[in-house]
Amino acid sequence: MSDDPITSAASTHSDRTISVGGGSLDVRTSSEIGGAEVPSRSVPARPPVYALVGNPNCGKSTLFNALTGLKQKVGNYPGVTVERKIGTAYSQHGQPIQIIDLPGAYSLAARSPDEAVTRDVLLGRRADTPQPDRIICIVDATNLERNLYLVHQVLDLGKPVVVVLNMMDLVVQAGLQIRLTRLQHALGIPVIPCEAVNGKGLIELKLALSRQELPLARHAWDVPAPIAPAVAELQASLHQNDGRPPLVARAEALLLLTDQDAVRVAGSAPLSARTTEILQAWKKRWEGEGVDWAGTLVNSRYEVIGRLCAEAVQPAAAIGPSPSDRIDAVVTHPVWGWVVLGVTMAALFLSIFTLAQYPMDWIDGRVTALADWLRDAMPPGDLRALLTDGVISGAGRVVEFLPQILILYFFIGLLEDTGYMARAAFIMDRVMSRVGLNGKSFIPLLSSYACAIPGIMATRTIEDRKDRLITILVAPLMSCSARLPVYLLMIAALFPTGSVPVLTKVGLMMGMYLLGTSAAFGFAWLFKRTLLKGETPVMIMELPPYRWPSLRSLALRMLERAGLFLRRAGTIILGISVVLWFLTAYPKAPAGTPPEQQIAHSFAGDVGRALEPVLRPLGFDWRIGIAIVSSFVAREVFVSATGVVFGVQTDSSGNLLPLRAALQRAVWPDGHALFTPLVCLNLMIYYVLAMQCLSTTAVVRRETNSWRWTLFQQFYLSATAWLVACAVYQIGRALGF
Amino acid sequence: MSAHLQTLVALAIVALALALLVRGALRKKKGHGHGCGCPTDEFKARLKR
Repeated sequence: MSDDPITSAASTHSDRTISVGGGSLDVRTSSEIGGAEVPSRSVPARPPVYALVGNPNCGKSTLFNALTGLKQKVGNYPGVTVERKIGTAYSQHGQPIQIIDLPGAYSLAARSPDEAVTRDVLLGRRADTPQPDRIICIVDATNLERNLYLVHQVLDLGKPVVVVLNMMDLVVQAGLQIRLTRLQHALGIPVIPCEAVNGKGLIELKLALSRQELPLARHAWDVPAPIAPAVAELQASLHQNDGRPPLVARAEALLLLTDQDAVRVAGSAPLSARTTEILQAWKKRWEGEGVDWAGTLVNSRYEVIGRLCAEAVQPAAAIGPSPSDRIDAVVTHPVWGWVVLGVTMAALFLSIFTLAQYPMDWIDGRVTALADWLRDAMPPGDLRALLTDGVISGAGRVVEFLPQILILYFFIGLLEDTGYMARAAFIMDRVMSRVGLNGKSFIPLLSSYACAIPGIMATRTIEDRKDRLITILVAPLMSCSARLPVYLLMIAALFPTGSVPVLTKVGLMMGMYLLGTSAAFGFAWLFKRTLLKGETPVMIMELPPYRWPSLRSLALRMLERAGLFLRRAGTIILGISVVLWFLTAYPKAPAGTPPEQQIAHSFAGDVGRALEPVLRPLGFDWRIGIAIVSSFVAREVFVSATGVVFGVQTDSSGNLLPLRAALQRAVWPDGHALFTPLVCLNLMIYYVLAMQCLSTTAVVRRETNSWRWTLFQQFYLSATAWLVACAVYQIGRALGF
Repeated sequence: MSAHLQTLVALAIVALALALLVRGALRKKKGHGHGCGCPTDEFKARLKR
């Protein structure tokens, strides 16, 4: 190591003691680490700040949740975390420890916005995030060699590091053997075996994290000779001219030489003219000499890691394809893969129609009974009308769809946790690449089946700005969970209970999801060839190992979604239902007008009739228009709005009718049915394509940082929804439907 | 409860709901850059590049 000018340069600063958080750090580097000496950094006086870093899908967020007790979203596919999250854990002795969960990265040479977050936090560039004192490097123990590359780069930062070998259960299953003592000795830092998903190894980890002193790594890595002088010169310049601390300067110098794009490495901290000049001079010289500097650096790291792994890992005896490989042979097969995907989707929707029916009927019965009880218990008047026709017929009807929403999220969670989602991405990539969509678009688009907002945020993993924008523009076309109540209501109105086999309903529902997905792909193809031209990058995605899903994790996720759904029903949807009731109840119709006619005399009636010329070509009357306009805020408001507008109908005994029965009774002034099969189908198609979610619009504005693209998206989706619904209705009418 | 009183209470509830909806729409979302997932201005600037 003494020949390494870089390490020597760094060591010139080793006599400094710098203050961190009121405490002191004894800055020592690898060159000082001798065999007998136990180098360490003392813990600062304030709670220590740990950064949690690792490759994508190695269990960072699962470990973060286990340590902090938070409920950060986790999933068995790469790219779940796109921003850093901060939480507090407590050591075995009750001492607080701050932990920053960072997005996954294969390397500190960041290529996408989410990876840049990890690099910037580690390099102390984020003003809104405390600079970590120590680092937890979590690695997927089944892929040690690949995961250690990031660890190797992190060790360059010269901070105390604790390595967590996660997924040790899978190591055993795979027949691998990791010699922990050798690995720990070779690295010179604590190495803790762990199964984050089961909580195994957490106590040992907490004990390591709460140690007052942690050893610095035996970072015995010689920068290759042709590159070393450049690293030393760049390090010195970064320290002197750019104000970087010495070890950060060294790490950044190495990154500048690993990544071809210096501007990308510099990120939010642009390089000084002097450093840029040095960098350019070295690159020009190497180009002349034919030196592949980036390749040399990467290969050199992998050589060290390879030696380490050869010493510490005993590979499994060759026993043929693993169970994971055998499953993959079917689920990623060009033909069988599609069959498996189709059956999985069919099973999801079949569950929604069959399993959810019982709790849905139960909730429906309670909601109707409550409305009937109120009608009996209170004298006629506006308050009674508000409670029964506004609150119960509106927000109450939305709550009926809670079981279906929960089943949808149970399935999504199951597919994510088992690792099947990544296989579905693999299958879908064959189609997506043909339409020009980036392979990395799949996870954001898939997330959009639950809700477009996390889906749009997940686009931060996409490196290319144009590809990211295309994905954001088409993500709202994927049928989100808010559309589910609309589809279910229309299918219930279209097919009275028992009138058709359940598989017909399943087929229709799958058709809606297919229509949304096809529209998303179609528009992506169009944008890629017109507004946002560019090459289609090749998809490289890691297929995670199959895992048994954690029932606790699934239950927590469903509970969280139930809470969110009920909160939404109890706030925005309830508020809109109350206001909509007022608009349908005032001004009062002349005395003697039948109650069903009241709405025609109301403010809402005036608005609806003003809209009717636009909606009539789609087969929608002014009352449906009121529901559509109300649901611009959120799609599920359509259900509550139809509840308010149509839900005032009672049976011969004066009891409130279920909403689907009320819809089936609704008629045009000439007496023919309003909700014909064609109109029900058309409403579903309209909701597949229309952009009816203010929250999504706000997130698109935030993520694109552009009103132009936000308004463009609103316009193109609304126009498409109108045009397609118009075409379907007019053609359907012409064909006699 | 008389019809007149019911009307007053119902209108008060409507006014309250409207006020809460408007307040919710206008309220600046807090937590930017504090672990809520919202990007900071610095991050947004980088996304724009």
